[in-house]
Amino acid sequence: MGGRPSAATRGAFAKSSFQSQLMGVAAFHNTARRSAILPPGPQRIIGTVNDPAPVPEPSSAHGSYHWSFERLLAAGLVPLIVTPFASGSLNPATDAILCSVLLLHSHMGFQSVVIDYIPQKTYPGLRKIFWWLLNAATVTVGVGLYEFETNDVGITEAVKRIWRA
Amino acid sequence: MASLRSSCLLGASSVRTALRPGARIGAAFTRSMASVSEVPAQPEAKLRSFQIYRWNPDTPSEKPRLQTYTLDLNKTGPMILDALIRIKNELDPTVTFRRSCREGICGSCAMNINGQNTLACLCKIPLDTAADVKIYPLPHTYVVKDLVPDLTHFYKQYKSIKPYLQRDTPAEDGKEYRQSKADRKKLDGLYECILCACCSTSCPSYWWNSEEYLGPAILLQSYRWLADSRDERTAERKTNLENSMSLYRCHTILNCTKACPKGLNPGLAVAEIKKTMALGN
Repeated sequence: MGGRPSAATRGAFAKSSFQSQLMGVAAFHNTARRSAILPPGPQRIIGTVNDPAPVPEPSSAHGSYHWSFERLLAAGLVPLIVTPFASGSLNPATDAILCSVLLLHSHMGFQSVVIDYIPQKTYPGLRKIFWWLLNAATVTVGVGLYEFETNDVGITEAVKRIWRA
Repeated sequence: MASLRSSCLLGASSVRTALRPGARIGAAFTRSMASVSEVPAQPEAKLRSFQIYRWNPDTPSEKPRLQTYTLDLNKTGPMILDALIRIKNELDPTVTFRRSCREGICGSCAMNINGQNTLACLCKIPLDTAADVKIYPLPHTYVVKDLVPDLTHFYKQYKSIKPYLQRDTPAEDGKEYRQSKADRKKLDGLYECILCACCSTSCPSYWWNSEEYLGPAILLQSYRWLADSRDERTAERKTNLENSMSLYRCHTILNCTKACPKGLNPGLAVAEIKKTMALGN
């Protein structure tokens, strides 16, 4: 991949780029083949240059509600983490709430990472794979936390013991 | 440029006097004669190299490269744009860049100078260091040629937010849409944006998702119309941002605010949009 292309392939490259320019696709870094893992493709302009960019379907669940929920979870984690250590009481109910909020918080955080770095439009297949990998990971961690809470000492006590160890 | 021209004139007059040693000098030449005798204290050449990104669409298979040009700063204006214009005029006419107003109001000469997106006309040639000045096109844009990025999609996104006043009710006095001073004040820091794309192209989120995420420049403009008391389509404008991509790819990185050559705060505008969207007012 990374090697210098022969004269023939370079010629083919130049030709195909010329054709793509003819088809109205803007010129891009059509240099010798790059050894990037996921190289950026050519520029795609939907419609003519005078059309506005398309506006996605509105959905509050993915928009403002989602954002507010994220902030609430993040803000809620502060008292949930501080309280059990400050009060010194180990309540299975607060432990359960802490675990579920923590799980949701990290799930939504990783969702953001997947959305940011694996664009749906460019890599729809890869996006789907990572989306379900994340879901599986969250379920696994959820089951693990449940087991840890019911059959072992629970998350607060574990942190306490590690802290004092 | 002025200093360059005067030094050339001085050279010419000195040649003339040298060729005619016994000639009578008229009154018109007295001044140049006087300066010729003063001139020998030529300031030492202050050489500085500029590395400029070069890529030619006519030879697309050739890799982009940095080309170095060396200028004497004594004969160059203080700004990067002065240097670029001088390079194009005197060293290499094939260097391609956009420029227009040379005073930071058109936004044409936005480029990446020493790793920072800014306007070449507002960026001084750094004098505190002798290091080469590196000039690239705006990052993560499709390059048309050399320092010229393709901003087609950027402008299409700008069009998609309907950047104009939308009203259904006519003005009360039938003449103009009035606004209180306090309402007008809300637009300060928003209307000054010149859409140079320095902020959007400095935003990592916009790098990864420029197809769908609007980016700080367009969101600042979006807020400019959301905050306008005369506009009557605020609800529709907000609905258009109600999705995971258009607005909420902003992760408050604040590169936009750091980059803005006009000293605006797109990060704050995006935060204000998020606030109004969350609180519903």
